[in-house]
Amino acid sequence: MYSFPKGLYVDVRIEETFETKISFKKDVLQEQKVRRNKGAFIRVFDGNRWYYSSLTDLSRVQECIDALARMATPNNNIMEHPIVKAFEVNRDRIIQYEKDSVTDIPVAEKQALLEGYLKLLDYPEIVHHTSYYVDNKTIKSIYSSKGTAITFDKQTCGIRFNLELAYGDNKNHDIVSKAAIRFDELKGLDDYFKERIEKAVAFVREAVPVEPGIYTVLLSPEATGVFTHESFGHKSESDFMVGDETMKAEWALGKIIGRDLLTIVDDGLVPGNGYTPYDDEGTKGKKTYIVKNGKLTGRLHSAATSAALEEPLTGNARAVNFQFEPIVRMTTTYIEKGDRPLKDIIAEIDKGIYVETIRHGSGMSTFTMTPSRAYMIENGRITTPVKVSVITGSVFETLAEVDAVSQEFELLSFIGGGCGKMEQYPLPVGFGGPYIRVRKLNVQ
Amino acid sequence: MEKEFITIHEKETAVKVQNTRVNAVRMKDIVKKGVRVYKDGKIGISGAIGEVPDEILLENAVQNLNAGISYPYELSGNLKDHRDYGKNRMSGDQLLERAEKILERLRTEYSDFDFNEIILTRDVSWQMKNTKGLDLEYKDAYMILALILKEKKSANVIDGYLEYYGRDFDLDKFWEFNSQLLEAYRHKVPLPEGDTLPVFTFGFSELQNFLSRSLNGEIYATGGSIFSNKLGQKLFNEKITIEQNMSPIYRAEPFFDMEGVVLKDDRYTLIENGRLVNVYTDKRTADVYKLPHTGAASGDYDGVPSLIGAPLRFAVDSHDIKSALGGKMGILVAVSSGGDFTADGSFAAPVQVGFLFDGEHIIGKLPEFGIRSHLYKMLGEDYIGTFENKNFYFGEGMQLQGYYMTIVR
Repeated sequence: MYSFPKGLYVDVRIEETFETKISFKKDVLQEQKVRRNKGAFIRVFDGNRWYYSSLTDLSRVQECIDALARMATPNNNIMEHPIVKAFEVNRDRIIQYEKDSVTDIPVAEKQALLEGYLKLLDYPEIVHHTSYYVDNKTIKSIYSSKGTAITFDKQTCGIRFNLELAYGDNKNHDIVSKAAIRFDELKGLDDYFKERIEKAVAFVREAVPVEPGIYTVLLSPEATGVFTHESFGHKSESDFMVGDETMKAEWALGKIIGRDLLTIVDDGLVPGNGYTPYDDEGTKGKKTYIVKNGKLTGRLHSAATSAALEEPLTGNARAVNFQFEPIVRMTTTYIEKGDRPLKDIIAEIDKGIYVETIRHGSGMSTFTMTPSRAYMIENGRITTPVKVSVITGSVFETLAEVDAVSQEFELLSFIGGGCGKMEQYPLPVGFGGPYIRVRKLNVQ
Repeated sequence: MEKEFITIHEKETAVKVQNTRVNAVRMKDIVKKGVRVYKDGKIGISGAIGEVPDEILLENAVQNLNAGISYPYELSGNLKDHRDYGKNRMSGDQLLERAEKILERLRTEYSDFDFNEIILTRDVSWQMKNTKGLDLEYKDAYMILALILKEKKSANVIDGYLEYYGRDFDLDKFWEFNSQLLEAYRHKVPLPEGDTLPVFTFGFSELQNFLSRSLNGEIYATGGSIFSNKLGQKLFNEKITIEQNMSPIYRAEPFFDMEGVVLKDDRYTLIENGRLVNVYTDKRTADVYKLPHTGAASGDYDGVPSLIGAPLRFAVDSHDIKSALGGKMGILVAVSSGGDFTADGSFAAPVQVGFLFDGEHIIGKLPEFGIRSHLYKMLGEDYIGTFENKNFYFGEGMQLQGYYMTIVR
């Protein structure tokens, strides 16, 4: 397909995207937009340095390969370079959404679906709302000078309500959303949305400021997902570890970092936002046990980090779009479900905080979660809604504080937003998990 | 039918850095085009990434009129304003040479640290033209240095950053400041005694975001803002003036909004001497809620203009940090990630990287701690001031802002 210059490693990633965005402000249509774009990202490696370029005119891909090759220094032993040796060679075509493609649904039908849900927002406490229907279908093709030739598709769609709430002097803003893969999955969700909208309304009426302090914290699947992603997921991205002996020693495989009940997985094959059947350098998606029964068992890799750390490929080289190079990122990351009923876990908490929904999180040495809705737990019961600025904990200590994992389990995807890593934001990722109890977290 | 054309051209050369060495060179040359048509009080939109002919985009925009999106507002027109803020455009080769020099010195003199991420130069142009005589052009060229700093003996993913943004990079000033900063990273100092300490921030995004939400005309008018029904009231310390500031000097974005509005002196005052005098609006919000129009429309290049946020900037109200500290030591927040305000204004955040400083010089690196306050305290009785940044070579237009805050140890 392309003529790859000798003495260099080359790969080409082509992305064709289809996106719909429909929005209402209150009951007034604000935007109805369909985007179709194409772009390519090209990488050339001479064993010493990478040369990248992105372009939108696909007829110029060969020209661009040749231009990058002129900047590089041909290397007769390039195929023996550890990174080049690490690249898998895959030839595959996985087209799953020809039948249920969001591209085939008339935009008017998408708009009607969203419009039909607006009646659910009729509460005096919801003083303003902006509502969205969004979808995305991407077809990716990856070709390499080692012989990889892959094409696959992925799609997501969803509905999101951004709510502005007021009750006297109490204000809040909240998000209610539902992600799906096929359009039909977004139909008939009245009860799902109604339950969550009513919780948002009750929260603005009843929430009181939390008394800052150290609490036992129960996390919902959504909060567990953000906790897992921020407290440990980023630590498992091995590009942070390359060339860093302290990190390698601190996070040596085999180290015990939690109790037996704790198993953390990153799985690129889970349908949804994190679905990555092949990563952006053509490595087949995999299920990777990062932590198994409390023991560190793996980490996430690109070909470069896999070669540097001499660990197996995991299919985690991902780029946010065709304008960027793949770097090590999570796919769908979650704690595996446990065997305890949620009600038993709650019953054991005399005084604690239940975090139901999350606004955002971050993960450095101190990880953070900013709850959207949180509640007190008193004498084994979830009681008063509380306003919390931020919940924090040390990434070095907190996993060991997880002392209960529920049998109830849910995987989720956000509609809008995603994971940020330096300049690449927002990358769609999947997250979620069981309810978990963390014995000690700082709540403010 | 009126027609409007938006073209954004972005050229970028980026040097990717891994373990304090150049790992990759990335080149980008992307064009984004948006077309809007206006007919009978309706708007139609279309757009594409890449060189798609205007005729095709026009045809798509006309089709989009069928969606029936109401836009009964007068188009901006009869204005030509072309500006070029780029001072020293840098070629890819110049950037690479400069990056290699910086990295070599970091490897040699600061081998106890590791540096990763990016140094780039970006050349951008935005054009907005319409059939009513609007002809706006914003050009710019600037450099960004964003290096994650990692202490080699630390098990953290990130221990801090070296940063620069601007159009006129001065290598001597860069080293003068960053040598001091890196020495401070090496010199660990304890937190000063006291429950409440003077805390200084630069680029305090949580405060900017909270104020931006609260001063949004639509959220204000519908009752969801902490400031709702308080127009005309004194909210903050008398020293505080906050503007919607569209000047590209501070943020490398166009001087016009997404409805082609250019403000007088590129600014509109929202808080004046502590008093709420305006909220920001686009044409629709101003019309629907009978508020003054402040030219704050945002949105995608291929979207309907909408009110989302506005660039806010505090007016400089104080000049000498050292004398404001009155002999005390202050705390400079370098990295605070993940904190936030509650809807009623309570604020808490961890400070992952903070420094002790005397108002002029950075003395040493502090252990991790937390900060806590409330919007009305920070910008009220506990407010110290907004200072022009004279001492820290982070980038153009950066301000330092100080407040007394509760320290969580």
